[in-house]
Amino acid sequence: MSVVVRDETAIELQKDEIGRAPLILGDKQTFSTVTDTVAGMTEKKPPKAWPLLLGLAFSVLMILGASLTRLVGWGTGTWGLNHPVGWAWDITGFVFWIGIGHAGTLISAILFLFRQKWRTSINRAAEAMTIFAVMAAGVYPAFHVGRVWLLYWVFPVPNQMQVWPNFKSPLLWDVFAVSTYMTVSILFWYVGLVPDLATLRDRATTKTKQMVLGIFALGWRGSHRHWLNYEKAYLILAGLSTPLVLSVHTIVSFDFAVSVIPGWHTTIFPPYFVAGAVFSGFAMVMTLMIIVRKVYNLQHIVTIRHLENMNKIMLATGSMVGYAYAMEFFIAWYSGNPYEKFTFINRAFGPYSWAYWTMVSCNVISPQFFWFKKIRTSIPIMFVLTIFINIGMWFERFVIIVTSLHRDFVPSSWGYFRPTIIDISTFVGTFGLFFFMFLLFIRFLPAIAIGEVKGVMPAADPHAHDDHGPEGDGHDAHGSDDKHDKHDDGDAEAAHG
Amino acid sequence: MSSAATIEKDVQRLPEEQGKKLFGTAATIAALGLAGSAAAFFVDKQRFAHSWLVGFYFLTTIGLGALFFVLIQHLTRAGWSVAPRRHMEWVSGVLPFCALLFVPVAALAHDLYHHWMSAEAMKDPILKGKSGYLNVPFFYGRSVLYFVIWAGIAFWFAKQSADQDAAKKGDTRAFTGRMQGAAAPAILLFALSLTFAAFDWIMSLDPHWFSTIFGVYIFAGSVTSSLAVLAIININLQKQGLLKRVSTIEHRHDIGKLLFGFIVFWAYIGFSQFFLIWYANIPEETIFFKRRLVGEWQYVSYGLLLGHFVLPFLMLLSRHTKRSVTVLRAAAVIMLVMHYIDIYWLVMPSLDVNGAHFTWVDLVCLLGPVGVGMVVVAKRMQSSNLYPINDPRLPEAVKLQNL
Repeated sequence: MSVVVRDETAIELQKDEIGRAPLILGDKQTFSTVTDTVAGMTEKKPPKAWPLLLGLAFSVLMILGASLTRLVGWGTGTWGLNHPVGWAWDITGFVFWIGIGHAGTLISAILFLFRQKWRTSINRAAEAMTIFAVMAAGVYPAFHVGRVWLLYWVFPVPNQMQVWPNFKSPLLWDVFAVSTYMTVSILFWYVGLVPDLATLRDRATTKTKQMVLGIFALGWRGSHRHWLNYEKAYLILAGLSTPLVLSVHTIVSFDFAVSVIPGWHTTIFPPYFVAGAVFSGFAMVMTLMIIVRKVYNLQHIVTIRHLENMNKIMLATGSMVGYAYAMEFFIAWYSGNPYEKFTFINRAFGPYSWAYWTMVSCNVISPQFFWFKKIRTSIPIMFVLTIFINIGMWFERFVIIVTSLHRDFVPSSWGYFRPTIIDISTFVGTFGLFFFMFLLFIRFLPAIAIGEVKGVMPAADPHAHDDHGPEGDGHDAHGSDDKHDKHDDGDAEAAHG
Repeated sequence: MSSAATIEKDVQRLPEEQGKKLFGTAATIAALGLAGSAAAFFVDKQRFAHSWLVGFYFLTTIGLGALFFVLIQHLTRAGWSVAPRRHMEWVSGVLPFCALLFVPVAALAHDLYHHWMSAEAMKDPILKGKSGYLNVPFFYGRSVLYFVIWAGIAFWFAKQSADQDAAKKGDTRAFTGRMQGAAAPAILLFALSLTFAAFDWIMSLDPHWFSTIFGVYIFAGSVTSSLAVLAIININLQKQGLLKRVSTIEHRHDIGKLLFGFIVFWAYIGFSQFFLIWYANIPEETIFFKRRLVGEWQYVSYGLLLGHFVLPFLMLLSRHTKRSVTVLRAAAVIMLVMHYIDIYWLVMPSLDVNGAHFTWVDLVCLLGPVGVGMVVVAKRMQSSNLYPINDPRLPEAVKLQNL
C-alpha cells in the first residue's frame, strides 16, 4: 500500500487483450475522488432505499427475537426435531452461515498471499460479511442449548461439580474453531480499517464524530512508520487467517464425518466442505456487492472485472463441489456397502429427491453457465445465478443432514422431517440479523478499503510518470503493454509482499 | 529497445557441454536402472511388479504435478511464473514416456491386482458387485484413456509454448490466449483422470478398501513432489549462472512458498483421511491403517508424518530458508525422498504384508523410471529455450519482487 501522495493524477486506461483489465475504471479517477466516493457513503445522506431496507431488516430481526423468545420459553421442542431426525434446520442454518463467512477470509487472507490485487475493492465488505455471518451462525448453537444463560458451559470452565464438555466431541472443537475464527476475523477487519477510520476522522465535520472516529483510529497519522508496522501486522494476520479458512469448515465437517452414519461418514468431507463454503460465500458477496455498487454508484471501483473474477472462482469451487458429489456417489457404489448405497439412492430418488435435485441444479449446473464470458459479465444473469447458489448451498446442508438421518438402520423408525413455523421463522430471522448489521456497516464505516484501493491505482506507482518502466527493462519490448504493466504490477503491490 | 536487450542477458539455450553432461548422467542412471530392473524381473517377478509400480507411479505423479502447474498458471493468468512454467513443461514431458513405463504394470497386472483379477474373486459377493468397474478390459481401457489425456494435454501445451518462442512478435499473444482458454477444460479432465487412475492403480490393490478423498491425497503428493523438482531445476540453472533475471531468488522464494503450502495441504488431506477413518473405526476402512500401523510399517508411517510434514514444515516456515539455496534444496530433496516413501507406503504393504523391507529390487525399479524421466527432461532442456522468450508476461515476471 503506497502512501505516495500524487493526487489528481489522471489514470490512463489500457485494456490488455490477454486479460488484465484496469482495477479502477474512469479517466478522471484520482486518490481524492476515491476517498470522496467511499467516505461520501458514510458522510452524505444515505440513499432513500437505505432507511427502508434497514427498517425491513430490523423487522425481520424482530422475527428472530420472537422466535428465540419462544424457543427459550418452550424449549427446543418447538423446533420440528424428533426421532429419527434429531438435527435439522438448526445445524443446517449454522453450517450455512459459517460457510458464507469463508469468502471474506479467503478474499482478505488467501488472495492477499497470492498477490491478487483485485481483492482490494471487495475485501472490506466481504470481511464485514464474514463477521455478520458468523454472528448469525452463532445464534444456533447458542440457543440450541435450551437454557441459553448456561451457554458458558460450552467452554471447559473449572467447576466444583467436575462437569466438563466432552473433549472427544467435534462439537466442542467447533466452539474453539468458531470462536478463534470470529476473533481473528474481527482483528483482521479492524486492523485493515484503522487507516480508513483515520481518513474519516480527518474529514469529520462534528466534534463527536471526530472523537469517536479518533478513538477507533488509534492515533493513526499515516506516517511511514505507521504504514510499515501496519503492513507487517497485515501480513501476519493474513498468514494466521489462511489456515483458518480451512480449519473452521474442516471441523464443521467433522461434526458429521466422525460418525458412522452412511452419508455423513466419508473421508472427502473436510476439503469438500471448505470448497462448498467458499462457493457459498462468494455467492453471498456477489449478491451483496451487485446491489451495493449499483445503489452507491461504485461501478468504477467494483468493476465488471471484479465480478467476473468472482464468477470464475464460483465456477471453480462449484466444480470442486460437483467433483465431491461425484466421488461420494461413485464410492458409495464402489464400497459395496449396502447401507451406503441405499443412502445415496434414497437421497436422489427417495422422499427428499426434490431437495437433492434442487441442490444439484443450483450447485452443480448453475455455476456451469459461468463458462461463458457473456454470462460472466452480464449483471442480471449473474445476480440470479448467485441467488440460485445461495439456495443450493442451503439445500446441500439440508440434504446431507436430513436425508442421512430420516431413514436409519431400522426401517420401523423411518420418518419424514417437517419444519415447524418456528424453524422457518428462526432461519428467516437470521437473515434479518445479517442484513441489519450489513446495512449499518455500509452506512457508518468505509465499505471499500480506501487505502488499499489507492495502492493498486496507477498513481500509486512511483514510476507512473516516467517515460520508461521501473527498471527501464522489458517494457518497451512489447510497446503497447507499457502503460498497462506500470499500473498493474510491481511496486504498488510489492509493499504488501 | 534497451529493455529487450537487458532481458536477453539471460542465456536462452543450455550450453552444449552442460546439456551433454546432464544427458550422460541421466542416461547412465536409466541404463543401470533398466538393466537392474530387467534382472529383478527374472529374479523375483512378484516383487518386481510391485516395486516397478512404485517407481513408475513416482515418476508419473511428478509429471502430473508439473502438468497441473502449467495448467494452473495459465488458468490464473499468473505473471510471475513464466520461466518456471517452461521448466514444468519439460517435466510434464515425461508423461508420454510413462505410458511406455506402464507396460510392465499392464503385463503383470495379474500379479499386482490378483485380489480382484483372479477367478476366485468372483466368489466374493462384494468384489462381484464391483466387477462392473473392476474388470480387466475396462481397467486396460481406462489406463489407455488416462495416458491419452495426460500425454495429449502435456504435448499440446508444450507445443504451443515452443511455437510461441518461434512466433513473430505480433503473433505471440494469441498463443497465450489459446493456452489460457484451453487450461480450464484441461484441468477438469486432469482432475478426473488423476483421481480414477489413483483408484485403479493404487486403491484397487486392496479392492475392498475405499476412501473418497484418495484422489485428492494423490494430487497433493503429486504437486508437492513436482514443486520440489522445480525448486531443484531453479537452483541448478541459477548456480550455472544461466538465468539471472527471469528465474531468480524471487521466483525461488515463490516456489518455496508454494512448496510449503502444498506440504501443509498434503498433511491436511492425509490427516483428514486418517483421522476420519480412525475415529469412525469401521473395520472395512481401518484395515488400510491397521496394516500400516503394526510391525515395521508403523515406523514408515511415523517417518512419513515427520519427514513429509513436520520436518519440511519447520524447514520452510521462515522467509530466509525459502530464499536460501542450501535449505530449499535440502527440503526439495527430502520431499522427493518422502514422496517415494509415500508411494512405497501405499503400494508395498500389499506385498510385504508382514513388515517393510527395502531390497535392491526396489532400488533398481526406482532408478529405471527416474533415469528415463531425467533423460526426457535433459533432452527437452537441450532442445528448447530455457524460458519462454516471447511470452507477453515476461516483463511482469522479470519485475517480481518479494518485499
